[in-house]
Amino acid sequence: MCLSVPAKIAKILPNDMAIVSIDGISLEISIALVDELEVGDCVLVHVGYALAKIDPTEAKRTLELLQELGSAGERRS
Amino acid sequence: MSLAAQNKIDVTVSLAADVVAAIEILPRVRPPLARLFAGKQASLLLKVLPRLFALCAAAQQTALLSAVETARDEVINRTTKQHRIALIVIERIADLLRGLFVGHLAQDIASAAAIRSVMRGMSGLLGSAQPAWGSAQREATARIVAALNVLGMSNEGGAVRSGSPLALRIAALDESGLKSIPAEHSFLSVADDLNIIKRLLVDGAKFCYCPDLDGHVPETGPWARQMTRDRLSPSPSGAAERLRARIAEALRLCAWLKAGAQIDSAEHGIIERYKLGPGRAAAAVECARGRLYHAVELDPQGRISRFEFLAPTEWNFHPRGPLVRSLQGAVLTARRRRDAVDAVIASLDPCVGFTLNFREVGDA
Repeated sequence: MCLSVPAKIAKILPNDMAIVSIDGISLEISIALVDELEVGDCVLVHVGYALAKIDPTEAKRTLELLQELGSAGERRS
Repeated sequence: MSLAAQNKIDVTVSLAADVVAAIEILPRVRPPLARLFAGKQASLLLKVLPRLFALCAAAQQTALLSAVETARDEVINRTTKQHRIALIVIERIADLLRGLFVGHLAQDIASAAAIRSVMRGMSGLLGSAQPAWGSAQREATARIVAALNVLGMSNEGGAVRSGSPLALRIAALDESGLKSIPAEHSFLSVADDLNIIKRLLVDGAKFCYCPDLDGHVPETGPWARQMTRDRLSPSPSGAAERLRARIAEALRLCAWLKAGAQIDSAEHGIIERYKLGPGRAAAAVECARGRLYHAVELDPQGRISRFEFLAPTEWNFHPRGPLVRSLQGAVLTARRRRDAVDAVIASLDPCVGFTLNFREVGDA
């Protein structure tokens, strides 16, 4: 059950890397597995890798869903 | 967002001198899907799953759909069944190859280009609305096989081309500096489905956080499938063997697609459905990481009144499971210990989020 998180590309870096913004937090990720990304594109990110490009509406819906789930999550002690 | 941030397993390795004395695993937070799903129509939820689980969206959708259809006593025809099996296989190949890059080839630009080419082909196949396996799919599969050849993967037996980045990686894993002690391994299979589903419905989330089969915690995933299918002796059991199994499986599944994706020659148990009573059913799907389970109960209006799920990661990263068996008692040289443990974790699941800590303890 590996969750992926929507992010917006803020800067393209050399060597297939990029800076993305995930819910306001900047993070450096690999974009090596996705073709032709540009600044402003939305991607799904998992363990530091962009998995797929998604449209902004889908990204917004996914963020809302994660927030809904996060508010009800629990950790086993 | 806190849920995504907490979607990591915490692994702490305690060392006495250079020997692994103990491994503590703290499970990740499970998304509270049961609460999200309760009272909703399955059709709405099928759209939600890919948003959450981009790595195994087809497996998650198929597991839920199969469980709901079975609860409703719906029968699917052979063409639909073939189409669904092909989707699971395509997703599994994509996931296996993504894992090769993430876990092993991340610094190799040529490998990234080849894997992107495979991913494009896979996306085309996954997006195909055609239930039948026709010439377009066969041609796409042939292009995927060509891209695998670029990666050095051209032999169905799992051998990779000498000198290729993958061959070098396997050689590096063979010399990783981790000396494991022999351990008894067991493997999850379709024969375990009903036992697991029963426990899933009796114990719910408690079972899912720490599953077992009569006290045993079997491994699931490519190496487990290879061991079960080929009835091989499970020794040795290092990261290199799991990587070889991953490569062999990707090639074998591509060959199955290329040959027409026929049900009769498909792997046993890829999608299984179990009727458990009126409005009650479960399904198991063999995805890249291993066996995934969904169980549902429907109310008289057909809405979901109960939902339970169990992911393969819960077996492989169990506090008494395969990761622990692979590391317990192993000798780690100080210089490369983090790399060696990273390699074992990646061999079980290259795409799992985790934090790794080391702790020095007194002599064991």
